[in-house]
Amino acid sequence: MIQITTGDSRPVFQQIVDGFRMQVATGELLPGTKLPSTRGLAMQLTVNPNTVAKAYSALTAEGLIESRQGVGVFVCEPRQQLSYEERRRRLDTAIQQLVTTVITLGFEPDEILDALEKELAPLLRKSS
Amino acid sequence: MMSDYVIETSALSKTFGRKQALRDLTMSLPRGGVHAVIGSNGAGKSTLFRILLGILSPSSGSSRILGVESSQLTPEVRGRIGLVHEEHTLPAWMKVRDLVALNRRLYPQWDDDVHREVMGHFDVHGDQKISELSRGERAGTSLAMALAQGPELLILDEPTLGLDVVAKQAFLQSLLFVGGQEGRTIVYCSHQMDEIERVADNLVILERGEVACLAAPEDFCERVSYWVTEGLSPRVANGSIPGLLQAREIEGQRHLVVLDQGDDLGERLRGLGAVSVQRLPVGLDRAVNAYLTRGHHAPRR
Repeated sequence: MIQITTGDSRPVFQQIVDGFRMQVATGELLPGTKLPSTRGLAMQLTVNPNTVAKAYSALTAEGLIESRQGVGVFVCEPRQQLSYEERRRRLDTAIQQLVTTVITLGFEPDEILDALEKELAPLLRKSS
Repeated sequence: MMSDYVIETSALSKTFGRKQALRDLTMSLPRGGVHAVIGSNGAGKSTLFRILLGILSPSSGSSRILGVESSQLTPEVRGRIGLVHEEHTLPAWMKVRDLVALNRRLYPQWDDDVHREVMGHFDVHGDQKISELSRGERAGTSLAMALAQGPELLILDEPTLGLDVVAKQAFLQSLLFVGGQEGRTIVYCSHQMDEIERVADNLVILERGEVACLAAPEDFCERVSYWVTEGLSPRVANGSIPGLLQAREIEGQRHLVVLDQGDDLGERLRGLGAVSVQRLPVGLDRAVNAYLTRGHHAPRR
């Protein structure tokens, strides 16, 4: 279930997008699941329906969800639109950014890996 | 033909004695959606709305509302504008039922279903006197009437001030899901960022009588970033940090909020002597706060 926190470091739009990405990644939302309507989710969260509509269209552009005319919005079958090389390049960039940030914090590599593993744990549970 | 803009001002200025309340304000608010107007106290919000509605005349410049010159507003045009004011000033001696009956006669587009739907969120009975209502109930009563009149443009000025969480929730739900409809424009003035985040399609930041920023909340947040730096010598002037909105010294670290800077700012800060630099995400609340309190060293748009 998506939750909105006001005063969060992310705007409402981003919280909705991130919330669905995470739920799809953890398997909490399976392909074929029907999502609430724009208005339904907006009412549930007490947010402007246009903001939900914007989040849905960003997720549609990412290929995460699809709208079926007159039926509703559904979680898509996972499909990789990017080549392995491109995904690998993005992974490396993200990791470089992470490393440059944490390197100055003075932690032992083990502790950093532990923290990373903890963040990845929900994803690992899904694939096992 | 309907104008594409519900509110247009051109070089609008207003001075009260020596105080300049509005300075050369030029802005256009497009039709549709929720425009959230924010600004510090004294930013000119109430002056602006009084001029727009023809209650006050400007010192110079012009303004149009629903495509009509503010000074030429006819009762018919006024009837297409709904107002909900912070004080929810309703005649205290009247019964709710009588007040509603009065308004029903005034507005040709009056919609009983809309009125009933909004009132359903609030526990108010027709035979109660206005003076017996709580603040939240008065807010609900005035929103119900403003929406039932079927306004093309609804202006709300700090409508939830002093409301408890339950009344506030009922108010926002009614506003968004009964009040929000195709083609209607809602102008929402508030200092409460938690509400702004929920309702706004578009942010209008008013500052010192000028429009400082017009953007979707997520686009505005994208432009602002937060940096924690260590080791920046006090000799490094805040003025040499590009895009700086706000700088604070917290336990030896300098915390910076900047506008329109990419990741390369990190390198730049290291170049200025910072030994550690960390970029953190920033929420709407802090972003707006930094924007409104930015000092004279910061870039003006």
